[in-house]
Amino acid sequence: MEDLLKDLAQAKPPTPEVDRDRMESDLARITALPRERPARGQFVRRFAPLLAAAAVIALVVVLLPRSVEPVRPAAPPRWWHVLTEERSLMLVGDPAAPYLVEFLSKTDRWLSRDTEVAVLQKDGTVAPYSRESEETWEAAGRPDTAPQVGGSHSVRIGPMKPALRKASVSGYQMSLHSDVRLDSVSSLPTDQAELRRTLESLVGEDPYRVATLAMDLMSANVSDDQRRAVFELLKTVEGVRYLGEVPVTEDRTGVAVAIKAPPTFQFSDVETRLLVNPETGLPIRRIDLLTTSYRDLPAGLPISVEDYLLLDSTTIDPIVPQDIPVNGEVESPIIER
Amino acid sequence: MEEFSSVYRECYPRVLAYAASHAGAKVAEDITSETFTIAWRKSAQMPSNALPWLLGIARNLVRQSRRQTTHYELTDFPAEDEFAVIELRAALSSLSEADQEVLTLIAWHGLAAAEAAQVLGCTTATFFVRLHRARRRLQAALWTPKFDQARQSWKTS
Repeated sequence: MEDLLKDLAQAKPPTPEVDRDRMESDLARITALPRERPARGQFVRRFAPLLAAAAVIALVVVLLPRSVEPVRPAAPPRWWHVLTEERSLMLVGDPAAPYLVEFLSKTDRWLSRDTEVAVLQKDGTVAPYSRESEETWEAAGRPDTAPQVGGSHSVRIGPMKPALRKASVSGYQMSLHSDVRLDSVSSLPTDQAELRRTLESLVGEDPYRVATLAMDLMSANVSDDQRRAVFELLKTVEGVRYLGEVPVTEDRTGVAVAIKAPPTFQFSDVETRLLVNPETGLPIRRIDLLTTSYRDLPAGLPISVEDYLLLDSTTIDPIVPQDIPVNGEVESPIIER
Repeated sequence: MEEFSSVYRECYPRVLAYAASHAGAKVAEDITSETFTIAWRKSAQMPSNALPWLLGIARNLVRQSRRQTTHYELTDFPAEDEFAVIELRAALSSLSEADQEVLTLIAWHGLAAAEAAQVLGCTTATFFVRLHRARRRLQAALWTPKFDQARQSWKTS
């Protein structure tokens, strides 16, 4: 495979010669033109078509003084729309010489007071993670399924089948991975002590569970004040470290908190981090990473990443694929061995 | 202003090469010029590693250019190229435009996976998966009966 790319490099068409005169005259013409005023946020620019509505809301929040109550529309928006992209790693194959596969998919979720609509495993695929993993997978005969290392199931390698879920619900479910449900997010207290008691009443006094519930709440349809209160509480939970400003991408940063996570069936030294946009208060990314090296995997390697691509109130009804049966079977890539 | 000029002179040849390989030599200079005009207008948003960002702009302009023309200009290749190279180009051109783009960003334009992902507006992980599939399809295209026949006729001629 690697040789194929090298061969392809040999097939590159001839590079055109640069006309220096034209290049310099173009530069003089271009720099004589007016420039736009600085815009906000690389993320907004990248996802501009998708985030047009979110950007307007975010801008309003940014421009308001922090002490002023957020502007509320006359009629409450009907849906809270959350689009996330999830990536996670799993060790599979021969335990003596395992390789990593990456699960990659999106979840499109709409929540209202009484209904939940979710498209699961959207654009999903499972593939060898790195070139080394790919080579090990190829040496193993490119199997369609591979046993989990340290687990009792197998992993199906290849594309995932998307699924569509529609359900009538009461209250507000925090996330697809959690059973915690609030009667109403609007009644969530902003007082730190009361908020802590509310969260502990739902998940007990385990600091990690309280912290992860607070992280879930950061992406929920709460007010600006409630979200700020949740983040302030998060910083005070036992074991949580405030990391300050950290890079998210090459040209973007967020403020982050971190807490040691319980061991998974494959990884023991793991830390959960939440990165938040300091301007809007909305979460950008949630990440589980190794804190110590394990086998050939380096410390700092993210083993699970959830990127929040869209968090938006909307009155537009959910737009879902028409060719997927509603509430059909979800064909998980994790299968019985 | 000086920073922009520096980026301009450094990246101009690579943007030109990208435009020429995707839209042909005749319009490559115009696309490159328009790319930097847009980049100048939006220079407050220009990242420190500007090349992927510039190629992202050029990519949109190439697409616009294709929508506005009824035929694509073919890239001129040297007549003395080896058969294996010609064969590889033919296999490449049999792939979808998306697959070609993923492969050539790495093999022809020398971008790292993270940079190529930025050009395409996807995550590095997504790019890796797309690259993986595109390489597989290129390999398969090289071994279709059509290419086998061509290879045989070449060997016996």
